[in-house]
Amino acid sequence: MKERLRRFVVRVGAMSAKEVLHIQRDPRTLYLALVMPVVLLLLFGYGVSFDLDRMPLAVADADRTRASRELVNAFVEPGEFALARELATPEEAGALFRRGKALAALVVPRDYERDLSRGDRVELQLLVDGADPVSANQVLSKADAIVRAVSQARAAAAGFVGQPPLQVDIWTRYNPEGRSAVFFVPGLAAYLMAIGAVLLTALTVAGEWERGSMEQLFASPVGRLEIILGKLLPYLALGMLQLLLVLGVGTTAFDVPVRGSPVLIFVLGLLFLVSMLGQGLLISVVTKNQLVATQAGALSSLIPSLLLSGMVFPIENMPLPLRMLSRVIPARYLVHGLRGTLLKGNGLAEVWTDLAALAVIGLLVLALATRRFKRRLA
Amino acid sequence: MSAPSERGRPGLARIQYAATVRKEVLQTLRDRRIMFMLIAAPLIQTVIFGFAVDFDVDRVPTAVADHDRSDASRDHLRRLLADGTLLRGAEAASAEEAERMMDSGDAAAAVILPPRFGADLAAERLAEVQVVIDGTDPNRAAVASGAVSRYFGEVAQTMLRERLDRAGRAPPAAVAATPRVSYNPSLRTAPYVVPGILAMLLVIVTTIVTAMGLSREREVGTLEQVLVTPIRPLWLLAAKMTPFVVIGLFDVLLVLSVGTWLFDIPIRGPLPVLFLGTLLYLLSTLGVGLLISTASSNQQQSFLGGFLFALPAILLSGVMTPIRAMPEWLQAVTYLNPLRYFAELVRAILLKGAGLGDVAFQLAALLVFGAAILGLATARFHKRMA
Repeated sequence: MKERLRRFVVRVGAMSAKEVLHIQRDPRTLYLALVMPVVLLLLFGYGVSFDLDRMPLAVADADRTRASRELVNAFVEPGEFALARELATPEEAGALFRRGKALAALVVPRDYERDLSRGDRVELQLLVDGADPVSANQVLSKADAIVRAVSQARAAAAGFVGQPPLQVDIWTRYNPEGRSAVFFVPGLAAYLMAIGAVLLTALTVAGEWERGSMEQLFASPVGRLEIILGKLLPYLALGMLQLLLVLGVGTTAFDVPVRGSPVLIFVLGLLFLVSMLGQGLLISVVTKNQLVATQAGALSSLIPSLLLSGMVFPIENMPLPLRMLSRVIPARYLVHGLRGTLLKGNGLAEVWTDLAALAVIGLLVLALATRRFKRRLA
Repeated sequence: MSAPSERGRPGLARIQYAATVRKEVLQTLRDRRIMFMLIAAPLIQTVIFGFAVDFDVDRVPTAVADHDRSDASRDHLRRLLADGTLLRGAEAASAEEAERMMDSGDAAAAVILPPRFGADLAAERLAEVQVVIDGTDPNRAAVASGAVSRYFGEVAQTMLRERLDRAGRAPPAAVAATPRVSYNPSLRTAPYVVPGILAMLLVIVTTIVTAMGLSREREVGTLEQVLVTPIRPLWLLAAKMTPFVVIGLFDVLLVLSVGTWLFDIPIRGPLPVLFLGTLLYLLSTLGVGLLISTASSNQQQSFLGGFLFALPAILLSGVMTPIRAMPEWLQAVTYLNPLRYFAELVRAILLKGAGLGDVAFQLAALLVFGAAILGLATARFHKRMA
């Protein structure tokens, strides 16, 4: 029994050594797999933000008085908007929108100053380019806040002050400065590990089929299970290295906190990788072709990991079928678990559901992949 | 040596090109799985993207702790949760319990009304509302806190106005802005995202598939075999890329049809301009694919290289997040990204009804990048093959 176990370990070790040699002989794969996390993390950390300032605003001021200039200044001076162009008529705004030169146009009516000094209610018009709803929403809320402030300033100047009847205290936990890097690091870890684990394994196993060397391996005394384990182990190590790299860059460059237990993070990553490696194996066994395996991998793991994991877009927001679908996406549990341990300092009491889900999915996928792999060529 | 004979037979290059295209098309058509991936994959992606990507945050799960339990507190909670941004989750007995729910992820916001909330409001004493927000997702946090402050801000204003009324004073002069949103008045996300998907899909379909396909030929050794035939490398390359240009254009049509049918995406501008833009854009994506294949020795590397190009290119294109929200140095980098121009062009044509004149700059940029990248890639390909 002991002897059999020893042989098993030796054969798996030999397969792993062969795979490591493959990677070593041409280290470009390794570089790419390790450079990608850093590049992506920097891009997400610096580049992905929904918060706009200096939004280009066109102004059609038909009044041209001191009051109307003050109003325009109230838009431009705090830096939320930047004056893009003065328009003679509001109709010119359309051409600016089409060329992307302005996001909004403020139309000040004639007699703005006169009506205000009479104590009337003055209606301004705000034309908004709605093609990009993210930007448009910010234009709307920021313009609304500015106009409210202008109204209040006028009311205060006229002697209307009152004690506010109620007060709202808002306390933002976990990420009070709203930094997007803190938000994206757990998701990126999941995404990058999915790329590495699913696609690299799928490609390397499919490559053996393509070149015909898989049959040669089968003819050797190495068993099927040993081939699988030997091929997967180096990529498991690579995946863990990617996780470390993402967390390392995240904590040093973007001050992402690690409030929970590192052991828990490690276990989460490991279980996730097992299910992803299983998926990669399954794809390669089914497709046996690297080009097709890439597309299948991208479709079955990369896009779900990006879109249905809650990494960028909240799951509660999705329609019911997609919410159901997200329950079988391993990345969902990793993202949830990592956010909990990193940002909220959660322990086993909160994270065990994620661990259990990952373990169940991982075992199922791996069992399925191994069965298909064994049946092949049998 | 070969120059005179070619001059003598001007149709030779064309025949060679046509024959190779035929071979490539047959090869692609024969592998049903590849065809499935080139046609079904874009469809599935469009549907998932269209439904999953929603910038309009609503249904934020909210825990409620009402310590007052008066008519006033119940009424305010009901109206606060009525607009759909916040979704009422479980009742929390205390602020601590609400925080625990936030730890486990069952709630992303909590509203806590203190005892005597209703009595304070009625007696014109300062009433306090406590709101706790899970800041993990900055965007969702901003929307949730915005919804709470907007609601209670309006409550406060109404109450102030009522007090003025009771005191017999006229309300002060006020300025109000009436927004008029053009192109996408209900600010739906799908019309914004689906054009972006086009740009992404074409990168994946053309860049990665080209890079991997050429790497595969090199691995198997068929590229060398074809190169010893009389066909000239340039024509060979052109012929290899032709099917992908056709598939790319076909995918554009496919995504547009699904987009208009499922997500009500408008097509307001001229389609020929869109196709011209797509062709120019394909020059860049195919060129990058070729470039990557010359720098990789196997399909694994080609795939990783393609991804290493595609992901930053997508992130820095404005497809997912507005370019204006990036720091300035990064905004400058986006000018080197062909995806940026294509995404701008597609959105301008589809949503804003822009014509040839409006997108002339984007077209010119795509042409310049396409010619440069494809030229560079062809030169490298030649050198490696020579």
